[in-house]
Amino acid sequence: MSPTRVSAPPPPARTARQLREAATAARRRSRPDADTNPLRQGLRLERVPDPCAFVLFGATGDLAHRKVIPAIYQLWRTNLLPAEFSLVAVARRPYTNEAFAAEVRTSVEKFSRVQPIDEAAWDELAKRITYQQLDFSDDAGFDRLGARLDELDGQNGTAGNRLFYLATQPSQVTEIVRQLGRVGLDKEIRGAGWRRLIVEKPFGRDLDSARLLNHEVHKVFRETQVYRIDHYLGKETVRNLLVFRFGNGIFEPVWNRSYVDHVQITVAESIGVEGRGAFYEETGASRDILQNHLLQLMTLVAMEPPSSFQADALRDQKLQVLRAIAAPDADDVRRDVVRGQYGPGWVGGEPASGYRQEPEVDPDSETETYVAGRFTIDDWRWSGVPFYLRAGKRLPKRATEIAIQFKDVPLRLFRESAGDPAPNVLAMRIQPDEGIMLRFAAKVPGLGLDVRAVNMDFAYDTSFVVDSPDAYETLILDALLGDASLFTRSDEVEAAWAVVTPIINAWAESAPPHLPNYAAGSWGPEAADELLERDGRRWRRI
Amino acid sequence: MAHSVAEIEGQLGKLWAHAAVARAEAARAEAALVAAQAEAAARAAAALAAARETSDAGGHHVAARTSVLNLVVVAGDKATAQECSATIAATASRHASRSLILSATDPDGPAGLDARIEALATTAARGRAEAGAETIHIAARGETGRHLASIIVPLLVHDLPVALWWPKDPPFGTHRAERLLPIADRLIVDGSAWSGSGLDLLAQMAAVAEERHVVVVDWALLRQARWREALASVYDLPDLRPHLGAVRRIEVEYAAAEPGDPAGATNVVRPLYHVAWLASRLGMTVVEPMRRASEGRRHATLRQKDHEVEVLLRPALSDLGAGSTVSVQIASRLRGAELLGSVAAGDRIVEVSVLDNGRERVRRSYVAPRLSDVDLLGRAVEEGVADPVAVRALAMAGRLLAPDSGVHLGSDRSSSHGTGDRSHDDD
Repeated sequence: MSPTRVSAPPPPARTARQLREAATAARRRSRPDADTNPLRQGLRLERVPDPCAFVLFGATGDLAHRKVIPAIYQLWRTNLLPAEFSLVAVARRPYTNEAFAAEVRTSVEKFSRVQPIDEAAWDELAKRITYQQLDFSDDAGFDRLGARLDELDGQNGTAGNRLFYLATQPSQVTEIVRQLGRVGLDKEIRGAGWRRLIVEKPFGRDLDSARLLNHEVHKVFRETQVYRIDHYLGKETVRNLLVFRFGNGIFEPVWNRSYVDHVQITVAESIGVEGRGAFYEETGASRDILQNHLLQLMTLVAMEPPSSFQADALRDQKLQVLRAIAAPDADDVRRDVVRGQYGPGWVGGEPASGYRQEPEVDPDSETETYVAGRFTIDDWRWSGVPFYLRAGKRLPKRATEIAIQFKDVPLRLFRESAGDPAPNVLAMRIQPDEGIMLRFAAKVPGLGLDVRAVNMDFAYDTSFVVDSPDAYETLILDALLGDASLFTRSDEVEAAWAVVTPIINAWAESAPPHLPNYAAGSWGPEAADELLERDGRRWRRI
Repeated sequence: MAHSVAEIEGQLGKLWAHAAVARAEAARAEAALVAAQAEAAARAAAALAAARETSDAGGHHVAARTSVLNLVVVAGDKATAQECSATIAATASRHASRSLILSATDPDGPAGLDARIEALATTAARGRAEAGAETIHIAARGETGRHLASIIVPLLVHDLPVALWWPKDPPFGTHRAERLLPIADRLIVDGSAWSGSGLDLLAQMAAVAEERHVVVVDWALLRQARWREALASVYDLPDLRPHLGAVRRIEVEYAAAEPGDPAGATNVVRPLYHVAWLASRLGMTVVEPMRRASEGRRHATLRQKDHEVEVLLRPALSDLGAGSTVSVQIASRLRGAELLGSVAAGDRIVEVSVLDNGRERVRRSYVAPRLSDVDLLGRAVEEGVADPVAVRALAMAGRLLAPDSGVHLGSDRSSSHGTGDRSHDDD
């Protein structure tokens, strides 16, 4: 008798969140017409953003003009935003709607990744741009903003949905959030619109300030309404890292301490502080790159497989990694973390001034423009595997890369070989030349048995027709769709600061090395090389 | 020039052994690649030919693409072969690792083949990684032209998928198709380029896809992606979405070759696909298959839940090419409320409008350019697995064109015969 085929029942819900998700799914199944559009299946997006008002604070600033507005234009141009859309630009300077639209058009012409600008698409978008002059401490101004958004609901059909994007100075975040709460713009009413908040990094200066910032934000917005943006997580290759790890069965068995010797993650910039000296003096490489980009990349490499790609399932696993990173004490910092600052040198055939000679920088500054560290993750998968992280400005080239260095073979059968059969390396290039490279040993053709390392290279450029979207396009669209997978949760932020704050504190309490300690155009201070040489390793030549 | 499979294989081996020189040439040609891919590819090939004469250096190979397949083009005649070759060359930075372009000449002459190999060594946009590929042009003469499969199989790169591209009317049901379809993992066609109304071949293709489980990539359907997005956008507003379950009429207006399309000779594959896609997505069944009526119109009746849906394909005078869709309208009625969603598209702009009880609710136009042949081939090559939406749309097209539908009557049937391919279809 043939066995009867029965479908397995879904696993029972175990947590309150699972119960909520199960209830939501059951509701959706019971009324499919209400939640899904069957015509969308198989299209670029199976769901499109709801009608909404995109409220951009700091709309006259550099970030808004270079990144946010060009990303909105690109989403609009490719029909990924709803027709019922308003862009409400908010800033202190006086502008008319027309003057502001004309100014941002110039920015879009300059910074949009697709040129030339499409007149028809731009004209349609420009009709939806409204400028609202507002001093962030002005109560009446926020009252007017609330009234204006209500008006736009009627005019443009934005249905009470609002996304507040804070492209402002970090110091203004708390005040804006407080004001939004005061006028009730945070309140979500069932069926009458959602309210979401995007906050740009930095999320605090250290653990205490991050906790305080989260506390202030949570006084007004629930965590599920908050989207902390780290644009690195929107990059195509970073997202591909998840696909690479969890969409390919062959790598998972070797993705652990038994096979991996060590991991190197590099975020190298060839540029200096580019006129942002005052900002950089307050941040330095540790706060600017290590606390967010580097540690986020590390979590994606090291995390356990999530149960789904739901936002919290993913972020729970990343959080586990951050919590398993051994927080360094003062001795650990002295031994395992290197700071540096660039002096004058040459980059790309051009002379480059030293950091202390940059505008708005203290001539005796001790701010680090380079940081490298050796970190370990105390869990079963990674125990004993060092993660070497480095980031710096004025390095020889712009390159971001994750390299998994595998262990050497247990027995060198080819020791007489003229070549050196180096251990396998899997390198994921985040930028530029996005792609993945696997290095392995191959026999050199001939009568002998010479072995040489060869590379198997995958490059995005040669394998896919479509251009990769800019990270801001990806992240803004995700936020509009209510998908927080690629945004950082408050507990993640605090766990990352718990790793970095002891480093900052240890440096504050000890004499710095002789600065500057590396020349612009070099790969950083000698101490960074010594950090790996001590372990019998060396930085990859990128 | 090679004259046998063994000679072709020999040429291929020699060709890649000399590719290092061509690689340098291709690198110099990279700047021109994006703007004029075909031109750059041709230059690279010319450089390769020169390298063959001047260098014996070996040991270096142009890096192969990481995502590749065998692309077999059954071009039929020389002119089509040239068009396909140009399209393939223009997709140089993203095309198949090996393309075989087959054409049959002089069917009554002596048996034999003439083969020419073209290598494309290019750098990708912005001067990045290299891509290497080769195109083998084969002209089969006489009896040899009836045994194309015996030429193709030895020349396939092993372990790679095989896409069979039939740019003109595919000879479904013939011996040639019987021999060639089994070697293909996917079939690339352009239903909108078929002769006559194209509906006869469409019905046959739907049957072939269902019976043989061949993955079909039809450019006619790929082209409609922008239409589908626009039609879907009508129902993105949550309060309009319930209307998707209350559709009463689907009307597609298409550009006719002559006023009223009296002979029914305009290719209507694209208009029909709109209906098939909508019907398959919205859970409709066929009550009365497509039939021709007066003034060149075609009618069908579908059922959705407890009500019938009237379908109309209507010819119109238009500046667009014959067979192009001019507009699609979906009318629905729900609890007394009437909704009319309309989409129209030109070469670049798509326009969407929604009338809610006669009142304009949405009017939007946006940029969504028509896809070029190069775009379409690129997408067809990259389609990894069957698109379930396309599979269901094709199956629904088959049901709309059921044998009792009348599409086999009159001009629809007769017009799809007599193509160049059919003249030697006994592979």
